[in-house]
Amino acid sequence: MPKPIIEKDRCKGCELCISACPEKVLALSQEINAKGYFFPVIVQPDACTGCRYCLIMCPDTAIQVENKGKTTARSVALTQKPFSYCPGCTHGVIHRLVAEAIEGLGVQDRTVGIAPVGCSVLAYEFFACDMQQASHGRAMAVATGIKRGRPDLTVFTYQGDGDLASIGMAETVHAANRGEKITVIFVNNAIYGMTGGQMAPTTLPGQVASTCPTGRDVKLAGYPIRVVELLKELKTPAYLTRVSVHDPKAILAAKKSIRKAFEYQLKGTCFSLVEVLSTCPTNWGQTPKEACDWLKDNMIPYYPIREFKIPEAEEGDAHVQ
Amino acid sequence: MAKKLMKGCEAIGEAAIQAGCRLFFGYPITPQNEIPEYMSARLPQVGGTFVQAESEVAAINMLYGAAGAGCRAFTSSSSPGISLMMEGISYIAGAELPVVLVNIMRGGPGLGGILPSQSDYFQATKGGGHGDYRLLVLAPSTVQEAADLMIDAFDMADQYRNPVMILGDGLIGQMMEPVEFKRGIKPEDLPHKSWATTGAKGRKPNIINSLHLNPEELERHNWDLYKKYQQMQKEVRHDTYNTGENVDVLIVAYGTVARIARTAIDSLTPKGHKVGLFRPITLYPFPSEALIAAAQKAKKVLVAELSTGQMVEDVRSHIAHLRPVDFYGRAGGMVMGAEELADRVEKLIAG
Repeated sequence: MPKPIIEKDRCKGCELCISACPEKVLALSQEINAKGYFFPVIVQPDACTGCRYCLIMCPDTAIQVENKGKTTARSVALTQKPFSYCPGCTHGVIHRLVAEAIEGLGVQDRTVGIAPVGCSVLAYEFFACDMQQASHGRAMAVATGIKRGRPDLTVFTYQGDGDLASIGMAETVHAANRGEKITVIFVNNAIYGMTGGQMAPTTLPGQVASTCPTGRDVKLAGYPIRVVELLKELKTPAYLTRVSVHDPKAILAAKKSIRKAFEYQLKGTCFSLVEVLSTCPTNWGQTPKEACDWLKDNMIPYYPIREFKIPEAEEGDAHVQ
Repeated sequence: MAKKLMKGCEAIGEAAIQAGCRLFFGYPITPQNEIPEYMSARLPQVGGTFVQAESEVAAINMLYGAAGAGCRAFTSSSSPGISLMMEGISYIAGAELPVVLVNIMRGGPGLGGILPSQSDYFQATKGGGHGDYRLLVLAPSTVQEAADLMIDAFDMADQYRNPVMILGDGLIGQMMEPVEFKRGIKPEDLPHKSWATTGAKGRKPNIINSLHLNPEELERHNWDLYKKYQQMQKEVRHDTYNTGENVDVLIVAYGTVARIARTAIDSLTPKGHKVGLFRPITLYPFPSEALIAAAQKAKKVLVAELSTGQMVEDVRSHIAHLRPVDFYGRAGGMVMGAEELADRVEKLIAG
């Protein structure tokens, strides 16, 4: 009989597992955990089908699933330290996907990650590989230095929208244009999280932020920047894709894309960048579930999720010419 | 290795190769373009990598990454470009990474001009970027010394895990002199850096970082850095000329100005004037004890710089209570002539 195993003290009570479960196996506890959060408990054990949607959706790796005598395990490419993100923030989901790609490809002991400035500044405490912390916007320059110095290493950056698409836009465009053999995980949550909810280069038209209190006015601030669409115009071959983590199916697709992005680096093929649409329940002023729905209804129409550029196609174009 | 006639900038580049450096990241700016140009041609010959960065901001952060991965690497720039690098230099100092920086100074402030200057002394020796940190700063006076100090700079950077800056001016970068490379280091012979991010195989992950959110921890880090800077005091270097006996005037000058001062001294000696030169080679740490000793054998002290007065503040802080300290400076790319400096010394003697 499949069943979720809940590590209750890792839980921040975001309830995303509860809403993700198609069989309503889980409900919120009546008691609080060590952190002071209500956590999920199993209320319909017989209904569990072992689909793992609870595990997939959990931003705090607080759930594993036991099925047919096997139990899933937290990726060894993550440290044991609980994530410091707000309840329901999907950074944790993206961390898990990156760690699973690194572990799955067997490169944990030759990977160097770059933590940015922003909410994920402490990423160096969560990934169990060598890490460098970069100044705001410069992660891809730092990654360039590492990769050029030690091409045998697998190098990834983990950057938010302010870091990558505002202060670091020059580094982004030029690292992509040089075709640096690095993997970029670009977390777009359409807002500045760490500093308290200011307008980002990716804040949607009309979206309220603390520095656009009446909503983003495109006449003053311009339209939000679609990074992968911008980069795909560069002639240099690259793998450029956009994914989302607002529901389990999207997360499963995102996992494949992130792994693919690392594979291109391991093969020495090209620069790879995965834009991951992510939520910020705290600064959006929504519950975690509302934030996932808002992402789906508002961000995906503006930021379509698909592959925008694959290096093979580029090579094909060159052949035609 | 036989002596070779080289431009200062090229000698600096070749010295980096001889120091086992195989990585250069930089952005063009006058008057130091011969360094990236030289590296772009030379590095591929020895299996190294040259990257023309999109900006000085990117270049310094590429350097951070490479140094953090345990590689010898350097960048070069000139004054406005070094200003752009300041945030990255602060991070490098905070994360304690060994890098070598070359500043071929030009006149400022702002876009200033492209002619030689020494107006970045404050920026180089007092930190420059944000936070409580210091660079080791070396000021060559000849092309040969620029090459020698460049090789030493890589060793010092590794020894102290600290950025080391070669502070030259447009003259030292552009002039040609014979150079001999006295030692060559192979990259494979360099000591292993156990702290570097080389992949966590068989060990715990290494983290390169300057963030310390806990103020007690950050204070401890600051005092640890301070102790390191105190240890760096033993690297202090200086040179003297004509200071064997008591002198009427002791000129204090570094870099190119020290050469001008020697010519001025040579013209004053036949006139019966006793004039000596004290030349700091390390600007940080500043050779204060040796300066005090030299100043005690002089009646007066004259500091000469290509600025409106920067090093003179350090000189005064050490010897103002012992001897009168006068200052002579030219700025904005104007270089003093030897006669001009000699006139100033004679006026000071006449008093």
